[in-house]
Amino acid sequence: MTTESIISIKDVTKRFPVGGGEFTALHKINLEFETGEFSGLIGPSGSGKTTLLNIMGSLDTPTEGQAIVMGKDISKLTHKQSALLRNMHLGFVFQVYNLLPVYTVFENVEFSLLLQNWSAAERKKMVMESLEWVGLQDIADKKPAKLSGGEGQRVAIARAMVKRPEIVLADEPTANLDAANAHTIIQTMKRLSHELKTTFIFSTHDEKVMGYLDRIISLEDGKVKKEQQVEAKFSLS
Amino acid sequence: MIRFLIKGILGDKNRSVLPIIIITIGVSLTILLSGYLRGVMGDMIDQSARFDTGHVKIMSRSYAEDQVQMPNDLALLGVEAIKEQLASDYPDVQWADRIKFGGLIDVPDGKEGSKGQGPAAGLAFDLFSGVSGEDERLNISHSIVKGKLPSQPREALIGNDFADKLNIQMGDEITYMGTTMNGSMTFENFVVSGTIKFGIAAMDKGAIIIDISDARVLLDMHDAVGELLGFFEGGVYDDDKALAIAAEFNQKYAHDKDEYAPQMFALREQNSLGGYLDYVDYFAGLFVGIFVFAMSVVLWNTGLLGGLRRYQEFGIRLALGESRGHIYRTLIYEAIFIGFTGSVAGTIVGLSGTYYLQVYGIDVGDMMQESTMMVPSIMRAKMTPDLLYIGFVPGLFAMVFGNMLSGIGIYKRSTASLFKELEV
Repeated sequence: MTTESIISIKDVTKRFPVGGGEFTALHKINLEFETGEFSGLIGPSGSGKTTLLNIMGSLDTPTEGQAIVMGKDISKLTHKQSALLRNMHLGFVFQVYNLLPVYTVFENVEFSLLLQNWSAAERKKMVMESLEWVGLQDIADKKPAKLSGGEGQRVAIARAMVKRPEIVLADEPTANLDAANAHTIIQTMKRLSHELKTTFIFSTHDEKVMGYLDRIISLEDGKVKKEQQVEAKFSLS
Repeated sequence: MIRFLIKGILGDKNRSVLPIIIITIGVSLTILLSGYLRGVMGDMIDQSARFDTGHVKIMSRSYAEDQVQMPNDLALLGVEAIKEQLASDYPDVQWADRIKFGGLIDVPDGKEGSKGQGPAAGLAFDLFSGVSGEDERLNISHSIVKGKLPSQPREALIGNDFADKLNIQMGDEITYMGTTMNGSMTFENFVVSGTIKFGIAAMDKGAIIIDISDARVLLDMHDAVGELLGFFEGGVYDDDKALAIAAEFNQKYAHDKDEYAPQMFALREQNSLGGYLDYVDYFAGLFVGIFVFAMSVVLWNTGLLGGLRRYQEFGIRLALGESRGHIYRTLIYEAIFIGFTGSVAGTIVGLSGTYYLQVYGIDVGDMMQESTMMVPSIMRAKMTPDLLYIGFVPGLFAMVFGNMLSGIGIYKRSTASLFKELEV
């Protein structure tokens, strides 16, 4: 791991039992991610994108090799230590916004902070700041059912960002959005990455997302097929 | 976090309303059935105590062996001395002399003939002294159908059905024929002062009730009784106390070989009432056990369904960094909150229903007309302190237990599939 590496994937192989045999989802992957990177994993279904995202998110462990996230070897963490790593350093954005329907926007964003035992005043300040980042400070009292798709995903980003994580993992975050909302969402994330030095790693098929990425990693059959630094097609508006 | 959980419970009615309704119904039914069972069984035991067994009863050893035959030839002698000693040893117990006797009653027709005759089951209580408490204890005044209580020697109350059968009117004279405790024939005329109906078939068949002083003269039982009944203050039976007093009393006569020596019996040692007492405890325990089991199964199912409905929520919480143990614990906290709310509501409903049944009861008089058991005609529930927790605690535990079982799924969940699951 270099001094700048926030995630280091070394010879990672992941195999799943299937029927009587095994399916190799990842085969000897080597990758480094640096602080503030805005990069994406692309590839067809079954190429290993989500499996790799799972391992980097400490939701799964490699069968072989090492995945070191924030200096911690994922394979050596207990369930509780994995949860703590996710809680303190990782944010997740899902394809579906997955907001908790009985709580308001404010409470959905606040949830991660409750787990970190911030005081009520600090939580309020951080949540409102996070909602301001995504431009939703005026709908903090709304329930998720009253939000549009774009608003729902922006709340999900605020929820991922509220605890100021070093890494955000986003699995197809624009898959359910129209083009305008998709651009808004990605621009928001790009801006936050730039301002807060947060590392964003996407799994995506979306050309619009790819247009904002600084680095694209193509996966095929569980292997890195191509890895390239790119000039972002779209800039922050 | 607690505020967050409570808001989640209140905001998600499927998570709170259904389990609370189930617990409320279960807890209230448990309390109501337990209270009613205790009330009914307690009434039966109380009835037996007042009419027959006392809370404790002293008889001679020989009398006790054959008491169903009312063997007054084996009666307890020297009663005044025994009572003096008892008053000194157990000042909070009230003692009542009782004599049971059998015989024939003849109703003269006024023409030196007989209108009719019938076997009589005689009962003698202290009616004249005014301090025995027997009238209140046996509810005699309120059970009189016609006429009044005997107020002077050689007056008698007779069973109302018996009076109807023999066409006896108030003021008629009847003749009792029987044997004294020494085995001699005895005859005595009594004036019928009233007729009585206790509502207990066993008591009402051929009953003749006279004052204990008349019985002593009639049966030659001076300073003697068939049975000496002891009642605790407040009229409430205390099984432990009764057994302790009986054991202590009998210990004093343990070395006395006289077959007429007094022997004390606690209520549970008579007429198989111990079985009834155990029966009450057994069924109360059974109700609680069935309740906990049934509620746990229902709430387990409810918890499983809730868990499936909240699958996505738990997934998000795991992804956001909440540990499995923490999610599991919050489920238990929720269960405690819901269980507590449902148990409080159920206890209030159950106690209200029990109170209603205690005041108004259920009239089963028509069904018990031919009964030979000492069963009251109105079955009432009984409010007891244990009803406060007999449903409450299981209600709380059932919910917690149900959630504990259904929450095990959280530990079996693979975090590796969260991304896929949360895409749905």
